[in-house]
Amino acid sequence: MIAFWIAAAGLSVVTAGLVLREAARARPVDDADTRLEPHRRRLAEVERLAQDGLLAEDELKAARAEAGRSLLAAAEQSETWPRDGAGPRKVAVAAVGLACALAAGLYIVVGRPGLPDQPFTQRVAAWRAADPATLDPGKIAAVLEGVAAERPNDPEPLVFMAKARAAAGDMAGAEQALRKAVRIAPKRADIWSLLGETFVIEAKGQIGSDAKLAFGEALKADPADVRARYYLARARIAEGDVAGGLADWRGLLAGLAPNAPGRESLAAEIALVQASGKLPGAEPAAEANPQVQGMIAGMVDGLAQRLKQSPDDPDGWVRLVRAYAVLGETTKRDAALATATALFKDQPKVMSALRQAADTPAQAKTTTP
Amino acid sequence: MIVELGAFALILSLLLSVAQTGLSAVGGARRSPVLAGAGRGAALATFLALLVSFAALIYAFVTSDFSVANVAANSHTDKPMLYKVAGAWGSHEGSMLLWCLVLTGYGAAMAFFGDSLPPRLRAYAIAVQGALGVLFLAYTVFASNPLARLLDAPIEGRSLNPLLQDPALAFHPPFLYAGYVGFSVVYSLSLAALIEGRIDAAWARWVRPWTLAAWSLLTVGITLGAFWAYYELGWGGWWFWDPVENASFMPWLIGAALLHSAIVTERRGALPGWTAFLALAAYTFSMLGAFLVRSGVLTSVHAFAVDPTRGVLLLIMMGVAAGAGFLLFGIRAPSLNRGGQFRPISRESAIVLNNILLSTATAVVLLGTLYPLIREAMDGEAVSVGAPFFNLTFTPLMILAFAVLPAGPLLAWKRGDAKGVARKLWIVLALAALLGLIAYAVVQPRKALASGGLVVGFWLIGGALLEMGERLKLFRASVAESLRRARGLPRGAWGTTLAHAGLGVFVLGASFETAWRVEAAQALSLNGSQPLGAYTVTLTDVVTVEGPNFLAERGIVTVTNKVGAEVCRAAPERRFYPTGAQTTSEVAICAKGLDDIYVVMGERRAGEGGKPAWLVRAYVNPWVRLIFLGPLLMAIGGIVSLSDRRVRLGVGRRTGEATS
Repeated sequence: MIAFWIAAAGLSVVTAGLVLREAARARPVDDADTRLEPHRRRLAEVERLAQDGLLAEDELKAARAEAGRSLLAAAEQSETWPRDGAGPRKVAVAAVGLACALAAGLYIVVGRPGLPDQPFTQRVAAWRAADPATLDPGKIAAVLEGVAAERPNDPEPLVFMAKARAAAGDMAGAEQALRKAVRIAPKRADIWSLLGETFVIEAKGQIGSDAKLAFGEALKADPADVRARYYLARARIAEGDVAGGLADWRGLLAGLAPNAPGRESLAAEIALVQASGKLPGAEPAAEANPQVQGMIAGMVDGLAQRLKQSPDDPDGWVRLVRAYAVLGETTKRDAALATATALFKDQPKVMSALRQAADTPAQAKTTTP
Repeated sequence: MIVELGAFALILSLLLSVAQTGLSAVGGARRSPVLAGAGRGAALATFLALLVSFAALIYAFVTSDFSVANVAANSHTDKPMLYKVAGAWGSHEGSMLLWCLVLTGYGAAMAFFGDSLPPRLRAYAIAVQGALGVLFLAYTVFASNPLARLLDAPIEGRSLNPLLQDPALAFHPPFLYAGYVGFSVVYSLSLAALIEGRIDAAWARWVRPWTLAAWSLLTVGITLGAFWAYYELGWGGWWFWDPVENASFMPWLIGAALLHSAIVTERRGALPGWTAFLALAAYTFSMLGAFLVRSGVLTSVHAFAVDPTRGVLLLIMMGVAAGAGFLLFGIRAPSLNRGGQFRPISRESAIVLNNILLSTATAVVLLGTLYPLIREAMDGEAVSVGAPFFNLTFTPLMILAFAVLPAGPLLAWKRGDAKGVARKLWIVLALAALLGLIAYAVVQPRKALASGGLVVGFWLIGGALLEMGERLKLFRASVAESLRRARGLPRGAWGTTLAHAGLGVFVLGASFETAWRVEAAQALSLNGSQPLGAYTVTLTDVVTVEGPNFLAERGIVTVTNKVGAEVCRAAPERRFYPTGAQTTSEVAICAKGLDDIYVVMGERRAGEGGKPAWLVRAYVNPWVRLIFLGPLLMAIGGIVSLSDRRVRLGVGRRTGEATS
């Protein structure tokens, strides 16, 4: 703040100095020269044309007369500016002083004197130093972008960055990161299948040629890749080969451990397709993406941990309650609401915000195995 | 701190502009060297403060400081550095700051270089320039502040429109604005002379270099814009009579008229009122352009989407500036000296005819540009005015102007010899007609109108060369004598020849390219081909490439000639910019002498048998390079003229008596 005002004062002094320097250098003037010069030049040109034989005698006379007349007229119009007294100097000093003072006053009204610059690199450095649990996915992605640039041969930061971008809703950015990651690690089935899934989400559930290509690469690297197998089977069903797709799904289900995440939902999906003969109309939405869900769940857990350690954070509790509500974690939501109510029962504003957060409707959840 | 210092500097420049206006006006009126000197100092100080402000904005863009609302709305961390910097003038707010920077820059130039100007005229001109600065700076500070801050900075910016992320367009606005706003000096000098009540040869001598500079820069700016439209928009054309293009073309036409009428006023003292009128009109048209682009009244690829409130403010500013100028003109014009007399056949008359035609052409372009707005206001009907209207109205006027043009410089001042000029020019006419006939006979398909266009082009080039030959007494005097004359010839004469020949070069290119362009468009699968005039275009491969901030499908298109030999390999792209989810076409151009083979690739689609296919549009644009070379020659002509000592004396400190 002080540095800013010193710089602003410095700029004002320099500009005021320019004004006063020009005022101090001013001398009395006689503008005869500037007024007459073009007319003299015209007269000279007439003489030159005559010399070159380009003007007849009568034309020369007329041209000379015209140029002479205008020279005389200009000479009559010339004027002198006398030396100034002290008055104009005082006016100049007052004017420039007033301009600088008014500029400062106007700036205080319309500017933001205390607001520092916020270069992107500085902001990222601050986020990097902060507790990741306090950061939203966009900031995490920005931090990971820096990490990825520092480790150009390591696909991991890119994969995490993709997950963070997806969580922030930037699916195109996630795709970009995963494309880079598969270039670094072309044998990693999990990255290929993540890339394929990103294509599916971007295409609003459609499994297009790009996605198939990515899942194909995943299976080349690891024929057992669950995600790739799931989506390729789904593609078969979507393209009309319901029996073939269901057979693939059943094969996948048989290979899953009894406690594998998503096993139940896959079984339910098989039953549904078997009964209706087609895929249900619902398409996996971006926010229902398992990667996104996992990312959000991790962040929510981080927030819960932080609130356990430093509970005096009403905004944090409101966010936690809302997050549990959105995720459909009603038991955790009620537990968090109870803890927060005990802490903030005397603060009606916080209580109202907590109740509103608890009433947030849950989002439908469809997960892949 | 730097951003806020920039915000402070912007406000400081506004207040210094107020001081510049007041000190210079009072200094001029009271014949006070000190106050006029302080006014000049204020002009320099205003420019310095604005430089600081502009540097701060560029710093904010370079460092991706998204707490600056303008940066957040128009930049992105992934954007290449050139476009981060160019982003500073890619938005409405930033380009207003650029406008103000150029405006105050010209004010400072008048203060710094203007020692040869009569002091009162100079003081008033600097005062008027300051008043224009107050108008535009106040608008920028209060209604379009490019350094306005956000308390909660977003994580990422929304990036600049990908179509604008192009080198030609990075440099197009600075040139365009240097041209547009250059006319402000001419406006200020005109208003100052009207306040003084004196418009004479000395005044015209002052107006001419500024007009030359502004007009040359505007020529470069418009040409860069046309070149950008040609290779970036992928429509195969270079001029669309788009309202925003017209907005830049109108001040150019008036500037061209002014360039010529100022010569008459300088040399003969004639047409002072008309020259002053054109000087006021040139900047008025510049401001009209700014209003049209920024008010939201027009829909155009170039237009900034700006709310109507800002448009109304701009309209008021234009009304105040132009209104004050023309009101004073109306009061003073009847008392202006009519200047030297001249005969109907004389160089003056030729220039008057040139001015009438250029002004009428400007009026036609203005009507075509505003007509859709007028119709919409009157009966709510949306109409568009395009090439057919301008071909029927603008083109005949220009042909008439071009027909007379070569005769103008050959005519003597005051009283010309029509027969003598005709005797000199018949050979040029005969040659041009012969070349046109050859084109008509040889180039297929036969096109009479286009061949006529070529005759006009050759006529202009031949006329310009003949005039230079006359000056050098080429083939009539010894080689040594011609060389001596060439060395002694003022640069202004070379500039005139270059500019007039450049116009001819442009007409040749425009006639040829428009009439004989060949186009082919077909959805091609891999290794699919289509004929394109004398060539065959084959899509040999499509690869995915990743740019700094885009993903692209790049087609490898092989162009072969009739015997199957490869002529060139083009690589058009279909780019996807994830930020903003925008798709653009990147044109691939193979230059073949004066011709271009121009290839655009569309998005992937299902072709025969379910195989992927891409729409490949290809053009052969014959002589298209001349379209851009011609205006470049004209701009170089302007700059060469500007370097003429006789003209420079109007700008620089006086060093002695002029010699010619």
